[in-house]
Amino acid sequence: MLAAQIFAVVIFIAMFLLIVWDKIERHYVTLGCGALTLVIVFGICMRSWSAIWNTIAIKEFATKEFWYQVTESESKGINWATIVFIAGMMIMVEGMAKAGFFRWLCMRIAYLVKCRTIPIFITFMVMSAVLSMFIDSITVIMFLAAVTVELAVLLKFNPIPMILSEIFCANLGGSATMCGDPPNIIVGTSMGFSFFDFLFNTGAVAGICLVICVVFFYIVFRKELISKHAEPVDMSKLPKPSEAITNKTGFILSSIIFGIAVVLLVTHSMTHLTVASIGTFIAAITLIANAKSIPELLKKVDYKTLLFFIGLFIVVCGLEETGILKYIADFISDISGGNIMLMVAIILWLSAIASAFVDNIPFAATMVPVIQSLAPIVTASGADQHTLAWALSLGTDIGGSATPIGASANVVGTSVAAKNGYPISWGRYCKKLAPATVIVLAVSTVYLFVRYL
Amino acid sequence: MSQLIISVGREFGSGGRVIAEALAKRFDIPIYDRHLITEIANKTGMSPEEIEKLNEAPNSRLISRRVRGFSNSIEDNIAEMQFDFIRKKAESGESFVVVGRCSETKLKDFSGLVSLFILGDMDAKIKRVMEVYEMNEHDAKSFIEKKDKKRKRYHNYHVHMHWGDSRLYDLSINSSRLGIDGTIDYLEKYIRARMGE
Repeated sequence: MLAAQIFAVVIFIAMFLLIVWDKIERHYVTLGCGALTLVIVFGICMRSWSAIWNTIAIKEFATKEFWYQVTESESKGINWATIVFIAGMMIMVEGMAKAGFFRWLCMRIAYLVKCRTIPIFITFMVMSAVLSMFIDSITVIMFLAAVTVELAVLLKFNPIPMILSEIFCANLGGSATMCGDPPNIIVGTSMGFSFFDFLFNTGAVAGICLVICVVFFYIVFRKELISKHAEPVDMSKLPKPSEAITNKTGFILSSIIFGIAVVLLVTHSMTHLTVASIGTFIAAITLIANAKSIPELLKKVDYKTLLFFIGLFIVVCGLEETGILKYIADFISDISGGNIMLMVAIILWLSAIASAFVDNIPFAATMVPVIQSLAPIVTASGADQHTLAWALSLGTDIGGSATPIGASANVVGTSVAAKNGYPISWGRYCKKLAPATVIVLAVSTVYLFVRYL
Repeated sequence: MSQLIISVGREFGSGGRVIAEALAKRFDIPIYDRHLITEIANKTGMSPEEIEKLNEAPNSRLISRRVRGFSNSIEDNIAEMQFDFIRKKAESGESFVVVGRCSETKLKDFSGLVSLFILGDMDAKIKRVMEVYEMNEHDAKSFIEKKDKKRKRYHNYHVHMHWGDSRLYDLSINSSRLGIDGTIDYLEKYIRARMGE
């Protein structure tokens, strides 16, 4: 077993370093490391076919629980539910983008507030958070940042403060729901949570923090946003929201499909449909509604991210099956001396600091089995057994906002800004967003202590 | 050949830029080198000096990340803007000379592309850098090595094949053999032959 443990750790560290090195595409890295885990750790060192079989977990698809789940259950091995759900949502989002939904929504809201800078600033922050509750934050920021730059040129304001605030709110909004951010989907599907479990726990604190952030960003950015050269807005010169719609039928259909997705996600604890069923169903109706563009929509699915997930889950299984994650759980338990408050603080802040510099998805996938191991200690102390799960979700989702590389939305937002002539350096980014991250984490710490301990 | 795009990759001190300028004059077409920096400076609001620092510079891997083709690195975004600029110029049908910017690969789909790589003997390059930059031999050598290392990392980050690998270019030529003027004459003949003149 010792050799298996050594190889599992070496492969995991190599995978992390290669992801950070960014020379080889990250899905090749995780798939390569996943293959090594299967062959060396499970095959050669452990000689365990059952470990390989359990990790690949392909049999999950044939189980009723994968599609329809009445009681909560935890999953092991490759988290296919996460992968199927993300793939389904990707197809839906592509359909919406193709019809012009996101651009239309941004322009519509700008028109509703009569294209005045500060109201746009505030409504775009809220819109960013709300959309990110259901749609991946990369897509939200890709469209929001592009429209922000366009409006900035027309209305003569500096788009950088607005883009930075949108990025932050997208990450915050993502923390509010099970489908908002990949770490939440991993935590949720691994531990059998529902949409409402997240909404009533991480969503509640995300809502409080959104109000705080809007006030904070208004105070720190208002001087930069109000341009001395601003002229009265001539709405007739601005592009009309309806011009954003590329295909009216497609637009109506994609809006309906999005509505169905939201309803299915919100009610999945009542309907007992799993996120895998919802993802599959949403993808299917999107493809049926866009029958003529099926190859185009399928081509745009980000297969690299899906493959990245598959490899990653295998590598993490290597750590889990060899007991390494149990050691980490025991270590956290030891250093916290059984003090649940300290344990929650460690999970929250460690997740946040790690997520500020490395991809939060591998971190969350690694930490889920760790917090599952620690759950009995938490329960024994009389605290809510899921406290650590909420700490992990909040830490990974919010910590990523602190630096330009912490989360995908940050990279996309800063890139869109730079390509349009507004480069954002590390200093410029961290000066306002790192303090905002610390404020939100401090609020989350207090929230977790007061509500659950 | 209705469109002529001359891409000039070069080792520092080999006289590549001077050769590119001379070719632009002989074929009476614009050259995009310094012009690209001004263009990006105008677009970003950054000063040309700031852009110059980030121009043809590799990003810092530890503080940059790529997501679905987007990058937070200012170096990467400036590089992308320059690639877009030369691609748009090429698509417009314009003939031009472009220095560096991975142009031999970024523009390889254009039939009018003639890609050149200018190298030189270290002794000759040191001599040239000592004259142009008024440096002593030791400083000139380390300056050349530093500049070439930067160009190599930049190129190999944005392009799969290696900087200076002869398989990437139509013609790789050592400017120390014929001298700068001789190399220009030779390249002019080669390009005219390629143009079918």
